[in-house]
Amino acid sequence: MSLLAIKGLSKIYGEIPVVDRVDLTVQQGEIVMIVGPSGAGKSTLLRCVNRIETPSEGTITVDGTDMAGEVRNGKFVPDKPAQTAKKRQRIGMAFQRFNLFAHLSALDNVAIGPRRVLGMKASVARELAAEQLARVKLSDHMAKRPAQLSGGQQQRVAIARAMAMKPVLMLFDEPTSALDPELVGEVLEVIKSLAEDGMTMLVVTHEMQFAREVGTRILFMDTGRVLEDTDPKVFFSNPAHARSREFLRRIQMMPA
Amino acid sequence: MGDFDWNAIWYGIPYMLNGTLVTLEISICAMIVGCVFGLAFGLVSASDMRLPRAVIRAYIYFVRGTPALVQIFLVYFALPRIGFELSAFWSGVVALAFNAAGFIAEIVRASLQSIDAGQSEAALSIGMTNRQSILFILLPQSLRRMTPPLTNEIITLVKSSSLLSVISITELTRSAQLIIAERFVPFELYAALAVYYLVIISVLSWISEYIEKKLA
Repeated sequence: MSLLAIKGLSKIYGEIPVVDRVDLTVQQGEIVMIVGPSGAGKSTLLRCVNRIETPSEGTITVDGTDMAGEVRNGKFVPDKPAQTAKKRQRIGMAFQRFNLFAHLSALDNVAIGPRRVLGMKASVARELAAEQLARVKLSDHMAKRPAQLSGGQQQRVAIARAMAMKPVLMLFDEPTSALDPELVGEVLEVIKSLAEDGMTMLVVTHEMQFAREVGTRILFMDTGRVLEDTDPKVFFSNPAHARSREFLRRIQMMPA
Repeated sequence: MGDFDWNAIWYGIPYMLNGTLVTLEISICAMIVGCVFGLAFGLVSASDMRLPRAVIRAYIYFVRGTPALVQIFLVYFALPRIGFELSAFWSGVVALAFNAAGFIAEIVRASLQSIDAGQSEAALSIGMTNRQSILFILLPQSLRRMTPPLTNEIITLVKSSSLLSVISITELTRSAQLIIAERFVPFELYAALAVYYLVIISVLSWISEYIEKKLA
């Protein structure tokens, strides 16, 4: 069974489909890089997966669980907010602007999920948080507030915060777009190490070098549609779609 | 200013201090009740609970749309009709708290909603419910933002307590009026009255600034 199955997903604002009838199946361990021009609906697609945005149409199944509700006695019953929250626990997300909890230390940013959502004892949650922070090489910065950390460090804390919930799927929404160039590497390094550990992930990114190297699949989106879904090598050397070729030329990944 | 009657002011001091005490008692009681209910109402009106939210919106609409003086009369004359026999003092507390809670609820709601949307999205992304997100993430961050508007509201509350003179509570304003009635020295006593309020409000502002610095 696939880990993530998206069928006929659309998100429509007013009359404009930002995500337009997307189908996508992702197997355990796959690293799907989602690329495309801005406004293509990449982030919205990601945000529909964990229902931070409510899809207009279509179904999303994560690890066999329908994210929208369940069938009881042959009838589809939509989830209450509390059930949606419970289903979100298994999907981690890293945001473009990190969104660390501004009032909490790095350690408490990571510990608050296990503590408040999973109901762990404070000491156990902090121990788990310390482990996760060690994994992203931030053991020396656990007591600092987000404002005292660099962008790269903040994003690593954010990844540790998501990983502390033991997700089956990780969503990265342009995780390096808000970073100074010299800080991009450390964050990509962390994402790469998660990939090597077999974490399934969807990554919206503009880092083409990284997408080619780490991705097992490239999804090219434009105007809400998935135009290409292919192997990274194929995508970068021989894109099938005229729009992909145009995109790669614009970002100078392909000779004119 | 040669005929300014200082004696009337000296004479008034014990009565005015007594009135100050009553003003402070009423204000502090109303402030505590108003803050507790205002916080609760504000949290509800920022939440996703539709019916309670609508009820609180209606309540705030009423509080904002009617004069405090009318609210005081309503509480004073309406409560006995529905079986609550309160003293003038407690009617005053209820009326001021009723008024303050509405404005405080709005302050709480606005402060919660002024926090960057990314904060609640991150909270939801790790599986928090809306309620947990408000309680553990948004509320702690909005406390400092609430302090200045909350101070304004408390200052308004203390000054509104002067309206309670109309339901014969001998608070600060009515103490001055009683002395005026006895000695006919309105200018002197109203001037003194202004100074008394200024001192009270200055102390309040000073406490508020101290708290704001502590929360920084």
